[in-house]
Amino acid sequence: MQGHDDGEPTVRIREVKKDRVNFVLGNVDLAFANSLRRVMMADIPTVAIDMVEIETNTSVLPDEFIAHRLGMVPLVSANCDEAIRYTRDCVCLAGCSFCSMILELKVSCHDDNTMDVTSDHLEVVPFPPDEESADPGEELSKRGEWFGHPVGKHDRNVPPVLITKIRKGQELKIRCIAKKGIAKEHAKFSPCSAVSFEYDPHNKLRHTTYWYETDIKGEWPLSENAKEEEAPRDDEPFNFNAKPNKFYFEVETDGSLGPQEVVMKGLAELQTKLANLILGLKIGGADQIDIMPDDVPVPHVPPPDNAWSGGDPNTWGMHAGSASGGSSSGWSQTSPTRGGAGSQWSNDASWGGATGTAGWASASSPQTNGWKQ
Amino acid sequence: MAETVEKIKLLKSSPDLSAATYQIHDESHTIGNSLRWMIMKNPKVEFCGYSVPHPSENVINIRIQMYDNASSVDALIDALSQLDKVCEAVEDSYLASLREGKFERWEERY
Ligand SMILES: [Zn+2]
Repeated sequence: MQGHDDGEPTVRIREVKKDRVNFVLGNVDLAFANSLRRVMMADIPTVAIDMVEIETNTSVLPDEFIAHRLGMVPLVSANCDEAIRYTRDCVCLAGCSFCSMILELKVSCHDDNTMDVTSDHLEVVPFPPDEESADPGEELSKRGEWFGHPVGKHDRNVPPVLITKIRKGQELKIRCIAKKGIAKEHAKFSPCSAVSFEYDPHNKLRHTTYWYETDIKGEWPLSENAKEEEAPRDDEPFNFNAKPNKFYFEVETDGSLGPQEVVMKGLAELQTKLANLILGLKIGGADQIDIMPDDVPVPHVPPPDNAWSGGDPNTWGMHAGSASGGSSSGWSQTSPTRGGAGSQWSNDASWGGATGTAGWASASSPQTNGWKQ
Repeated sequence: MAETVEKIKLLKSSPDLSAATYQIHDESHTIGNSLRWMIMKNPKVEFCGYSVPHPSENVINIRIQMYDNASSVDALIDALSQLDKVCEAVEDSYLASLREGKFERWEERY
């Protein structure tokens, strides 16, 4: 927690499951750890149903209710970067096979029992040839077998997402258009159903204040992560120079992407943002002022790495209750640190100099964590 | 239809750019806070802070003030490439930990 920071960033994976990965990120600043959290939740593209044409709906739920529920259904989105375009970047007028997927829901109930309409009833249908764009594109060849299909549809062990229930004589005839998007646009596009993020489990830094009746320790049980750090002595004085150094992540996905893909894409997305900024400085510099020397290299955006692999449409899915919409309140929250929020200047200890300059001077190891000196 | 917007522009600065405010389009706390942190690590930087001026405007402002009339642009560029290296280091470290494989593992494929 103090002293030994500023080394190389470290990552220790504690658990990998088909829908989640748990890891500890060390030797980075709270700001960076939070950037990673935010980018994984809000900036990674997936496909989700975005337009719904309802031909028949005699169920008890109104059209818009069903349309909303269809939007929440997670669709397999592995390799989304290459496999589909944003419609806004496409040459077509209103959607084509390169930027959209069509899913149909055609069900009717003919017996006396109530029938569940689920995500398993959604069928991906090919684009009609006349709407097919003549534009050559590689996107289609980059798609996995089940790209755009509801998560868990091809796995018996995965319970489908319940959309509505119909009785005898009721019918649904619906055509859905799925598009690519990110969770900043709509929470349904988030690949994460939850990202847990914790630091300083003993609250040594006093970033939070516990409410209690008589006894803090009795009323606030420690988290599992507290085992990773030394508990403070009862008489330990408050170290106001200490900074958080270990961050406990658990990334849980809704099945649209695998957890490894989410972490890797998150980092790549951060790098893309940085590269765009440098590019912006280069371009902006030309006509505005000489704000940029010409010889500054634009950092490369790493190509997709194959050391990890994407989500498996065959073996993994989710329950209706945990559809990606659940994360909406999570990512919009600005930042767990006080520095992140609001419209005030958030500045980091530069005033007192206590940590501001002392921090870099003690840096023992170079390049990756900033300034060596 | 849509006029092109500059990704980053100079709002206000001293003539030698040693103290300047930049406005970055289409970014948020995600980049702002990390960038502020990395710029502050530079010993030549006197002050760095960022703000989101209004939640319904898709921009952030970054203020940089340098010691000894150094260029704030250099500090900005350095910080951007340093952050890029941090991302790379985290990725490498993640993949190394994955290869070590001291955890419960599930096979995944496309
Ligand atoms: Zn198109």
